[in-house]
Amino acid sequence: MSKRLGLVIDQERCIGCDACTVACKIENNSIGHWIQVETRNVSQKDTPSGQYPDVRFEWLPRLCNHCSNPPCVAACPNEALVKREDGPVIYIEENCDGCQACIAACPYNVILYNQDKNTIEKCNLCVHRIDKGIQPFCVICCEGQAIYFGDLNDPDSVVSQKIASREGFQLIPEAGTNPSVFYCPPKPRNRL
Amino acid sequence: MSVNNNEIRKIRTACPAHCGIDACGILAHLQGDRIIKLEPAEFPNKIDRRICLRGLSSLDITYHSDRLKYPMKRVGERGQAKFERISWDEAYDIIVENFRSIADKFGWRSIGWVLGGPGAGTTKFGAYLRIASLTQSTRVSAWGYGDAGLPCGSRVIFGSQFPYMYLFGKFWQRNWPELLVVWGANPGESMPLQTMRKIMDAKEAGTQVVVVDTRFTVTASKADEFLGLKPGTDSALALGLMNVIFQNKFYNIEFIREHTNGPFLVRSDTGKLLRGKDIGDKKANSYIIWEETSNSPKPLRKKNVQSASITGTYDVNGIECKPAFQLLKELTHEYPPEKAAEITGVDANLIIKLAKKLGTTHNVTFFTYMGFTRTYHGDISLRGLCSVASVTGHVATSFSSGYLPAVLNWDPFLKAVPDKPSFHRLGILNLYEAVISGKPYPIKALWFSFINFLNQCVDHNKIINEFYPKLEFIVQTELFMTPSARYADLVLPVCSFLEFSDFVSHPYPYVQLQQKVIEPLYESKSDVNIVAGLAEKLGYGDYFKGGEEAMIDMITNHSSLEGYNRETLGKGAMLLRALPEGGNFPLNFRTPSRKIELYAEQLVEDGQALPVYLPPIEAPITPGDKKYPLTFIQGHSRFRTHSMFSNIKSLLKLNPEPIVEINSIDAEARDISDDDIVTVFNDRARTTLKARISESVGPGVVNITEGWWIDQFKEGSVNHLTHDIINPVQNKIYEPNMHMNDVAVEVIKYKEGE
Repeated sequence: MSKRLGLVIDQERCIGCDACTVACKIENNSIGHWIQVETRNVSQKDTPSGQYPDVRFEWLPRLCNHCSNPPCVAACPNEALVKREDGPVIYIEENCDGCQACIAACPYNVILYNQDKNTIEKCNLCVHRIDKGIQPFCVICCEGQAIYFGDLNDPDSVVSQKIASREGFQLIPEAGTNPSVFYCPPKPRNRL
Repeated sequence: MSVNNNEIRKIRTACPAHCGIDACGILAHLQGDRIIKLEPAEFPNKIDRRICLRGLSSLDITYHSDRLKYPMKRVGERGQAKFERISWDEAYDIIVENFRSIADKFGWRSIGWVLGGPGAGTTKFGAYLRIASLTQSTRVSAWGYGDAGLPCGSRVIFGSQFPYMYLFGKFWQRNWPELLVVWGANPGESMPLQTMRKIMDAKEAGTQVVVVDTRFTVTASKADEFLGLKPGTDSALALGLMNVIFQNKFYNIEFIREHTNGPFLVRSDTGKLLRGKDIGDKKANSYIIWEETSNSPKPLRKKNVQSASITGTYDVNGIECKPAFQLLKELTHEYPPEKAAEITGVDANLIIKLAKKLGTTHNVTFFTYMGFTRTYHGDISLRGLCSVASVTGHVATSFSSGYLPAVLNWDPFLKAVPDKPSFHRLGILNLYEAVISGKPYPIKALWFSFINFLNQCVDHNKIINEFYPKLEFIVQTELFMTPSARYADLVLPVCSFLEFSDFVSHPYPYVQLQQKVIEPLYESKSDVNIVAGLAEKLGYGDYFKGGEEAMIDMITNHSSLEGYNRETLGKGAMLLRALPEGGNFPLNFRTPSRKIELYAEQLVEDGQALPVYLPPIEAPITPGDKKYPLTFIQGHSRFRTHSMFSNIKSLLKLNPEPIVEINSIDAEARDISDDDIVTVFNDRARTTLKARISESVGPGVVNITEGWWIDQFKEGSVNHLTHDIINPVQNKIYEPNMHMNDVAVEVIKYKEGE
């Protein structure tokens, strides 16, 4: 079976620090933030939900889901977006004419338009690193050690184990995209 | 140049930013003479590889277009930031001329070195101490700008500058407890790597985590239980917990007898400890216990300590006495859970549950830091926490020498010439009076290094109107034209951490070398080299020969660091030696009694022998009874290390401006909506900024994260609102603290022109 490279992000360990956002921008020299950390269930970032003192924070780093059925690839008229056999959905800058059809097609709102270049930009799963056998930059810079990278098709990989043991879930499963980015929900509290 | 410009070289260094103990190892990628990238460097233990969003952004400091590039002297009024370029030679001449003329009139001690947080750096701090020592001038200690409250309390109860090794030494060795109580600290933002990661590792391994804080923080969000208490009421919570612990006999009597002064008899008439002389013992100063086996008072001995009574009232030669523990117990009678709940705002059931858990759990770790001690009685807050840990026996030690994991050789800096007197010492809050009123002696010139004094210290208007005008000469070493640098007479450009070498004694259990990656940019110099240049002119050049390298050798030259030197450390972080087999440092306390002092005899006259609850000095914890009904606190932000990184564009993109967090109930009462511009004010001053309605603070509390530069506010700043009130007890124990989290304010919608 071929590889299906992807990420697992553990919300239990995510402290919402934005280091992934900063790391990604530096590594990829991007215009926008390819990973953005959302504070769940509230309208303002870094405000808790609920009423003091019964409140909670839940962070969700959002990035390209490297879908198995990527609508962006289907929508792109120029072969600027490619689904690699081993999983990553990558964009090829020189093929992009900035039509933004992919942005409209993506249900996750994680493809950005780069006005300076009139191209789109998004997470490439650090293929320039993983092809050399090193982990994506966000993984090694994650303060909470909450991001795992690996082969989702290998049942023994850390990512597969996390998904199995921690009820890993995908975003917007009803879109039928079958993302290669999974999330592990926060664990229930062991109250006094 | 022979080096191929495209070739990338990698140099391992360490980030010494003032988060200090996180001290991430950094691998700098160098192309030609430019650093193109930073990434987390390896550690001997793979899991310790780490970096944070600020460390990642460090190149934005090094290559910032606003860097100060050359020495400058002031040509306009102070504060106007009008400066003129001069040479280093001219700068040194100006300094020497001013220092000499001031020293002639007022003595060298009227010249002070205000050294802020050196972070994990050592020699950059040491060099200033050395020149202060040589000139017998004044070292201004910066503990008092927020970090003296905790040492005051720790010195009283444990006899050490810090309580850390006693409370959580084992935790840092990844020895996970069943229950972890994080009290008054937010490592999730201020120590995400060295501590927060471990908290999450522990939790994953099954540790139950409780967070006690005045704010619902990142750390609190990972807790199994959050106890949200009103600012400055920590000791009431501690007394409430002990009330339940004592009522249910959950205390650890063996531990109390062995390691605390709980069994020591206290005279009811004087409050002083009963001594040998009072019962005719030949050792006049020995401590006396009530021996249960003989039912009589006896001097404390190793062999009778476990038969000491810790409760009851006794008649000793007509003097009524009680064991110190009995007095503590009686004090807690006044704080049943309901009363503690009323004062602290924490649900009484939660207090009972936590107390029972503390008393019935075998392995408990307390983690704490400075934040909650930045209230007027913050020292007692710490003693309250440590008392809870002590009576339940949850005190241990697994590394020695206090805060620093390794013993460093500070002697050459603290005392440059062994048989001569060294520098004078003033706490930073005592400095206000020394400058303004000349007490205890006048200070006429100040040199500020790695401190953004005006931005970070209390009572802005007092500094501007009363403090600065009294100073004849001000020098500042800086990277940027900070709010403080604007008031200097001379500004000296300093290197970023990638441009000089230093020894970094963190993170536990490692030591590292901060290796110079590139030559100093522009005309900047490292602090060590700035001092060395000045020393040359003052005739002390010999003491700084060899510059940074020689200073590093000086500090590592200690028996505990044999084999750790520039050469060996150049290859990477080095693990400190493991303890001998079965090793655990014995519990030793450097208090007067060599025990944990649940009862502090030195504070009897102050009414603080016990960890009493005394309300905050300004924080209006009872709603509705004060002119300024809201308590203003200053949390830490992950986007800055104090006032560092405030001017970094990439981080400002994520966190663009100061906001005041206000609870929905308080906001509604004031007709304030999210993102409204509001004014926070008290009698001292006002500051205007954006409001954020947030349930991270309870009703009655507003939070603005510290470190924003003054010019980033629409008007004012956090320290326009703070006060310089000195707690005399802290002044007596160690040095007085600034009480940044004990401030009363009101908030109103901002109206243009008002």
